[in-house]
Amino acid sequence: MTEQPVNMPPVKLGLAVAWSALWTGIPFKIVVVLLLLAAGLHPWEPVGLAFLLLLSVPIDIWAVGLSARTVFLERLRVQPPEGLGMALWWKGMALNVLYFPLAYFIESQTKALSKAVTGHIMETELIKVWPVAERISIELTLWSSVATMMLITLVLGWLFLFGKIVARHAAGAQPSNASYQALVRQWDLMRVPSDQPLLLTAFAASGVLLVFLFWGFMPVTTPHPHEQYKKEEVKTPPTIKPTEVLQKSEKLLAQAEGAVQALEEQKAKEEAEQSKSKGKGKASAKDAAQVKVEPGKPAKPGPAKP
Amino acid sequence: MSGQPTALEKILAFVDERVGLKHLQAKMLNEPVPGGSRWAYVFGSVLLFIFIMQAVTGILLMFYYVPSADHAYASTQYIIHEVDYGWFLLSYHFWGSSAMVVMVFAHMSQVFLWGAYKKPREMIWLVGLALFGIVMGFGFTGYLLPWDQRAYWATTVGVEIMDKTPIVGDFMARFLKGGPTPGQMTLSRFFVIHVMILPATLMGLAGLHIFLFRKAGPAGPFRGSVEELKAKTDYFFPRQIWKDMVAMGAVFFTICSLAFIEPVVLLEEATPDPGEYHPEPEWYFLFLFQLLRLKIFYGEFGQFLGAIAIPGAFMALLAALPFIDRSPERNIFKRPVALVGWILVMAGILMFTVSAIINREFLD
Repeated sequence: MTEQPVNMPPVKLGLAVAWSALWTGIPFKIVVVLLLLAAGLHPWEPVGLAFLLLLSVPIDIWAVGLSARTVFLERLRVQPPEGLGMALWWKGMALNVLYFPLAYFIESQTKALSKAVTGHIMETELIKVWPVAERISIELTLWSSVATMMLITLVLGWLFLFGKIVARHAAGAQPSNASYQALVRQWDLMRVPSDQPLLLTAFAASGVLLVFLFWGFMPVTTPHPHEQYKKEEVKTPPTIKPTEVLQKSEKLLAQAEGAVQALEEQKAKEEAEQSKSKGKGKASAKDAAQVKVEPGKPAKPGPAKP
Repeated sequence: MSGQPTALEKILAFVDERVGLKHLQAKMLNEPVPGGSRWAYVFGSVLLFIFIMQAVTGILLMFYYVPSADHAYASTQYIIHEVDYGWFLLSYHFWGSSAMVVMVFAHMSQVFLWGAYKKPREMIWLVGLALFGIVMGFGFTGYLLPWDQRAYWATTVGVEIMDKTPIVGDFMARFLKGGPTPGQMTLSRFFVIHVMILPATLMGLAGLHIFLFRKAGPAGPFRGSVEELKAKTDYFFPRQIWKDMVAMGAVFFTICSLAFIEPVVLLEEATPDPGEYHPEPEWYFLFLFQLLRLKIFYGEFGQFLGAIAIPGAFMALLAALPFIDRSPERNIFKRPVALVGWILVMAGILMFTVSAIINREFLD
C-alpha cells in the first residue's frame, strides 16, 4: 500500500490529501453554518458567505496540514516538513483562483452546448411523439452524461495539479527509515495534544457556548407561518403591581379618613351652634317669619349669622 | 490523597458486583478493529444515533399530536405555530427521516463495495435488508400523519401500488385503509404501525444485527498486506468511537441546518378531492414513481411490473447476493460486475429522481 512520491500518480496523491481534508473540515464548517442559520443569516448570501469563508481559512489550513502529514508518513514514508498545512493551503488557493473560473466557464459552456444539441435531437419527429416521461429521461440522460464527463475531467485536472504541488513538497522531504509500526505510532502521536485536559476543557466550554448561542438565536415560533393559520390573540389582563395597589389604597383611605373627620367637625360645630341658639330661640323665630317664599322660586337663604 | 474509594467508586463497585459492568464495558469497547478505525465504518453508528433522535423527537411530538382525522391537521398546525420550538422539533423529525434513508443507502453501499456481505456475514446482510424495509416503512407511515393534502394523496397512491401485489395485495391495501377511502381508520392504523410496531421491530432487528456483527467481527479493509493490517489494528475505543461521534455531530448539525433552511410547512387539510394538487410521494420514492410513468408500465400488468415485480426482484437479488457471489475476493476494483452494477443503480435512481422533479412542470 505504501508508495514513494515519484511512483505515486499526482491524481492519486492529490485525492489522498484533498478528499481527507474536505471531510476533516466539514464538521466544523457545519457548526458555523448552523449558527448563521439560527441567527437568521443565510450562508449563501453575501454577509453569511463572507463570514463562512473567513472562518473557513484557519479550519482549512489545519485540515490540509493534518491530512497531508498523515499521507506523508503513512503512504509516502517521508517526514512531513514544518508548516506543510500553510504551504499547501496557500498554493492550493492560488491554484483555485486560477483554475475555478476557467473550470466554471468550461463546464457552463459544455452544459449549454450539450443542452442545445440534445434539445435539437428531441425536436426530431421520431422522438417528438413519445410520451413526456420518456422524453424527459432521455433528454436528461443525454445532456447530463456529457456535462458529468466534463465535470469529472475538470476535477481530475484539479487533482492532477494539486497532486503535483503535494509531490513537490514530498520530493524535498526527508525519507524515513523507521518501521511501519513506528511510523504509525508517530502519526498517531501527532494527533494527540500535549495538554489533553486543556483541550478537553476548551472543547467542553466551546460546546456549552455553542448550545447557549444556538438556543439564544433560535426563534421560538415558526419563521414560516402558514398563510391560513390565524393565531388567537390573547388579551392579557393588566398586570397587578402590589406596591402601587397598596399605595393607592392607602391614599384612598387617607382621603376617606379626612372626609369623615371633616364631617365629624362640621357636625360638632352644628351641635355647638344649636346649643348656643337655644338661648336666642324667640328672636330666631321672628327672623324666620320675615322670609317669604314665592311659588316656583327656590327659597333664598337667610342672611349669614356670625 | 487517601486510598479510600469515593462515593461514586463505591456505587460503581456495587453495581459491577451485581451486573458485571466492567466485563460489559470491556466487551463493548475493546473490540479489535482490523486495519484500524476508519471513517467508512461510521454509517452503522450514525444510523443508530439518528434512530434514537427520531424516537426522542417523535415522543415529544406525541405530547401534542392527536391521531384523529378531525384533529391531526389542527394539532400539527398547533405544534408548528403555538408550541415553543415545536416547528423545530417537527422539522428535525421530518429531515431526520430523510437522513435515515440517506444513511441506509450509504451503509448498504459501503457494505456492498467493501464485499462485507460475504461469508461469514450473510446473516448480517439479510437482517440489514430487513432493516432497510423497516426504514422505508417508517417513511411511508409517517408521511400520512400530518393529514394534509400531500400526506393524504401520497398515501392513496402508495396503497394503490401495494394493491397490485399478487395474493396479499388486496388484503394489505384493505387492512391499511380500513375503508373504501383513507379516513380515521387509516390514520389510526398508520399511527399504530409508525409509533409502536415499526419501532419495536426495528429495535429487535437492530439488536440482532449488532449481535451478529459482534459475533462475526468487523470485515476490515479489502486491501493491504498482513503486516500493515496488523500494525494498524486498533480497539473500538477510543479512535473508532471518536470518529463515530464526529460523524454523529456532523449529521446532527446538518439535520438542524436543513430544519432551518426548509422547515415543515403544511398544505391544505386533507380532502378526498385533490383539486389543483398533483399527488407525489416522498423524495426517496420519486424514482419509482417516475418509473411508473413510462409507457412500458402503463395498464394493470405494466403497473404490477413496475411497482411490484421489478423492485421485488431487485430486493430478492440483493437478498440472494451473498449466496450467488461466493468468491472470497473483496476488493471492489477486482469485482467489475459489482462496481458497474452499483454505479448503474445509483445513476438510475438519481436520473429518475431528477426526471420526476422536471416532470412537475408538465403536469399543469
